[in-house]
Amino acid sequence: MIAQTLRTWWKWWKWWPFRHNELPKLFLCAYVLLALAAPLLAPQNPYDPTQIFAWEASSAPGTPSGGGYVYWLGTDGLGRDIASTILYGLRISLMVSVISSAIAAAIGLAAGVSAAFFGRWVDIVIMRLVDLQLSLPTMLVALIAIVTLGPSIDRIILALVIVQWAAYARMVRGVALGERGKPYVDAARLLRLPTHRILFRHVLPNSVPPVVTLIPIEIGHAIALEATLSFLGLGVPVDKPSLGSAVANGFQYLLTGQYWISLFPGLALFGLIASINFVGEDLRRRLDPRREPQ
Amino acid sequence: MTDAAFFAPLLEVRNLSLQYRSPGGPIPILHDISLYLKQGEVVGIIGESGAGKSTLGNAILGLLPPAFEQSDGTICISGMDLDRIDSRQGEALRRRRISAVFQDHTTSLDPLMSVGAQIAETIRAAEPTLCSEDVYRRVVALLKQVEIDDAERRFRDRPHQFSGGQRQRIVIAMALAGSPDLIVADEPTSALDATVQKQILALLRHLVEETGISILLVTHDMGVIAEIADRVVVMRHGHIAEQNAVSVVLDQPQNDYTRRLLAAVPKIRLTGDSVDTSVADTISVPALAIGGHGITKTFPLGRSVLPLMNSRRKAALQDISFDLLPGAITGVVGESGSGKSTLGRIFAGLEQADAGTIRIGEEIVDASRSSRKTGLLGRVQMIFQDPSVSLNPRMTIEKALRESVRYGARATGNGSGSLGAMMDRVGLSRSLLARYPHQLSGGQKQRVAIARALLARPQIIVADEPTSALDVSVQAEILDLLKEIVAEQNVTVLFISHDLAVVQALCRFVYVLKAGQIADSGSSDFIFTRSQSPYTRSLIDARPRRFTH
Repeated sequence: MIAQTLRTWWKWWKWWPFRHNELPKLFLCAYVLLALAAPLLAPQNPYDPTQIFAWEASSAPGTPSGGGYVYWLGTDGLGRDIASTILYGLRISLMVSVISSAIAAAIGLAAGVSAAFFGRWVDIVIMRLVDLQLSLPTMLVALIAIVTLGPSIDRIILALVIVQWAAYARMVRGVALGERGKPYVDAARLLRLPTHRILFRHVLPNSVPPVVTLIPIEIGHAIALEATLSFLGLGVPVDKPSLGSAVANGFQYLLTGQYWISLFPGLALFGLIASINFVGEDLRRRLDPRREPQ
Repeated sequence: MTDAAFFAPLLEVRNLSLQYRSPGGPIPILHDISLYLKQGEVVGIIGESGAGKSTLGNAILGLLPPAFEQSDGTICISGMDLDRIDSRQGEALRRRRISAVFQDHTTSLDPLMSVGAQIAETIRAAEPTLCSEDVYRRVVALLKQVEIDDAERRFRDRPHQFSGGQRQRIVIAMALAGSPDLIVADEPTSALDATVQKQILALLRHLVEETGISILLVTHDMGVIAEIADRVVVMRHGHIAEQNAVSVVLDQPQNDYTRRLLAAVPKIRLTGDSVDTSVADTISVPALAIGGHGITKTFPLGRSVLPLMNSRRKAALQDISFDLLPGAITGVVGESGSGKSTLGRIFAGLEQADAGTIRIGEEIVDASRSSRKTGLLGRVQMIFQDPSVSLNPRMTIEKALRESVRYGARATGNGSGSLGAMMDRVGLSRSLLARYPHQLSGGQKQRVAIARALLARPQIIVADEPTSALDVSVQAEILDLLKEIVAEQNVTVLFISHDLAVVQALCRFVYVLKAGQIADSGSSDFIFTRSQSPYTRSLIDARPRRFTH
């Protein structure tokens, strides 16, 4: 009886998209498309004062707007449409995190490969910097960077790069150390190839694959970190939309029962990070050469 | 026990076919395999890589991953069909009757557990009712049985405190612990030196005679088969090519493939009928222009936290002086850990020695300085052991060879040859130029590695075990190629190998290395026929007798 039930469940579970990791991929695609098409889809630009009706502040979800559309997710305390805020906020969250992760990956790759290949003092200097970076709490580093540099989008990207490069550098160094010891690098040395050629044509291309698996995970971290900073008012400037500041906007209204101002941006953030992490995990499994055939 | 079970052979595989379920449809791995094994018999399964011999061994052990499926045939133990009975019963039957010995003694044992405890664990799994006193006694008896000295005291030692050969003995003791009827030994001596291999094979033979156990021996090495097997199963591409008593297979092989396989096995000649008079038994040093003098190398033993405490060092090479015959192949033979690879790497400039000089023609180079600064790096090219890691996996063959022409030939100032002509020379189709290394077979990759070394137009090539990762038939082809090239291109080759037969087939002068020192040296003829050095003799004696003349 129980076995039969379990078997039926298993049959359905096999078709459940989560098992094949299709749902997160769909979600992620949808997120990216929504972010790209935000100006076309959003009924108002919530950060353009001329498009906001201040008297419609704190409307509940589903309230019709004077502009001829409906506030499907309600408005915040200043009358900004939550749905529109989320769409515009996604743009900035994704842009900031993708750009910062790409830059951090590039820096980490260069630093890690150099540390592994040159060894000696280069290795010591780079890896002690990495240790220093990783021993400080991420939040603290980001806070110090923002406070000293001042909040603006490029500063946030800079802060996220500072926080992230070390993780890449350490991973790449480990991989590159293994590659450097392989005979094909010895063969390249025997041909007296210029150092940059051994580095960029031989060691680097073979050290990249594991890094690719780290990128989505780090993008997820970056989104969360950017949202946290924005929540604290240290991230994206107040005149720019962000999921983190959108959550913060509703914070003071939570106790008055106006749950929607914080809840919907929070859910959007959760869905985004979750789908990125699932896709990242799927990617890691696919790229793992030891994976078992299905 | 029924009559059928009584008369049935211990192991019988009947018409076994296996396939591998891949996303692109099933791939057949084994076709119609039938073999049997009687009590007290040693049956060898021999084949080259990809023949399916290990898959067959694992199928009998029940260790195949779920992606493999048995499409036809049966495996019976004492007449009991493992597929016919409940799978849990089949598993219990396997566990009670069959055990395994694998190749790699470093990973077969748990490094954190004392060897005694590991064997005891196996005994307890087989006989849970035994009291700990009895288990201890059994463990000690087993250790004695596999000839571990001082078994009572070494009971508590961990695997790293034993040598490779001793570890493999302990693995065998573990295999014996459950009192099985059959041991499936998959390449049990392939990771060991020839002298140790001989001892382990003698132990296995002794165990068979003493306890009546049966052994299914999976190996690629004809010598191992010749040493201990009663019957041989020759496998090729998942089929059985020939199955017969060992004397028949070795002396009158019925099958064409077996004949070729036997012909490819390098053999040692111990009679000096082809006396090579062109090389004296010893080389007079000043006459020759290429070699090394007083090369010494030590490695630190462990790493201390305090920088000045790193005083304990292990000597890898002690004051080695050697000369190479110009335009010929000079061999360096030694067992693992003798320092032969280190010597090759120092000579090629990949590693710095602690002291010593290297002489190339008129030039004398200080081997203890950075080889980039002394200009040694780039004068010598190398052919490495494992071609699957000596070619950059992300570069096409053409790119790799072009790099060699562009950068390698620069140092010597010679013009570059055409890639196509070189591909022809090493016996590869020009169409392979566009491929990546993983799309080539092991032998093809090694040919590419040879082409890469030659395209740099070196005077000297160091070949570090260039054929030990290859199948025997491929090994024979690569050795022929090396010989032809040396004769044609007038390069000087330092050939490093553990295999005496290969060295004899190829080299005119031989150095025998033992623990970082030269134990013996002389013309190939002298070393193999007249040398009085006890170490050289013991190396030659360790070769399976069948393959020495």
